[in-house]
Amino acid sequence: MSNTKLLAGRRALVTGAGKGIGAKIIDTFAAAGAHLIVCVRLPSQELSDQLAALEQQYGIQTEVIIFDLKNESAIKQAMKALCARKIQVNILVNNAGVAAGGLLGMTSLETIKSSFQVNFFAPVLITQYITKLMIKQGQGSIINLGSIAGLDNFPGYTAYGSSKAALMQFTRIIANELAPHGIRVNSIAPALIDTQMAQQMEDKAATNMLGRSAMRRLGRPQEIADLALYLASDQSSFVNGQIIRADGGM
Amino acid sequence: MESELMESKLKTIFAESLDIDQSIVTDNLRYAEIPQWDSVAHMALMAYIEVGFDIMIDTEDVIDMSSFEKAKQIVTKYLD
Repeated sequence: MSNTKLLAGRRALVTGAGKGIGAKIIDTFAAAGAHLIVCVRLPSQELSDQLAALEQQYGIQTEVIIFDLKNESAIKQAMKALCARKIQVNILVNNAGVAAGGLLGMTSLETIKSSFQVNFFAPVLITQYITKLMIKQGQGSIINLGSIAGLDNFPGYTAYGSSKAALMQFTRIIANELAPHGIRVNSIAPALIDTQMAQQMEDKAATNMLGRSAMRRLGRPQEIADLALYLASDQSSFVNGQIIRADGGM
Repeated sequence: MESELMESKLKTIFAESLDIDQSIVTDNLRYAEIPQWDSVAHMALMAYIEVGFDIMIDTEDVIDMSSFEKAKQIVTKYLD
């Protein structure tokens, strides 16, 4: 199915858009006609070039907001400034995340806190601000990038898996709270996707995870971006509060 | 905005949002002490206040706004 203009005239805020799944999401959303607010921790020429190309190719508007998800004050400052502009934000993709692996006895509390800060607390805080805009609009679609690590019981996922589990449960809860305001909230739970994050995984753990998938391969960032597009668009207008696995069949 | 004007406007917002008589919107009106002011109504009230005064209320203040008296203090802070 063509995704031409599925998001025409809408504005999407995407975190962690500088690489991997996030980079593919902004490509895909731009092709579907969405204006973009791209949130990254560090500016880069590569990102600037990518956005310039998207603007030219698809006639959309883009902007970059720089802040560190580990810094609560910076998040608040960035979101307040955005909300003060009283623009519409129709789509929020909480995509940014940090990986952390290690058996329980080798996982520091610091690592767990850091994982929760980026993978859970930051998305919650951003969502609190952006939903203020969405509630006034009476419309919105929020997509939270979870993980099968937050659903299944792979060893070594205390920090990452637990933080993603929190994000996915948050998805289900606020889907219920926000439905009366015309806002849908869903989560994608990818398995191992071919990104830099996957390369950080221990070989043995990665092999084990791939072995459990019927398709026996890494997922592609584009496959996750395509699912995000579906959830962002009216094609999924009756899909709410769902955790959609993209795992090749586990 | 003058204090009296702000209070009058805020009182109207409370009354309309919570669907209560203005006569009971006093400094002693507190969250959860009347059935009309529950958590769902509180969020709607926050939206009314934000639109009415063209402000954006931080989550900490949303939580802190536990009475009409508190509401006056908090709204004043955002208008200053």
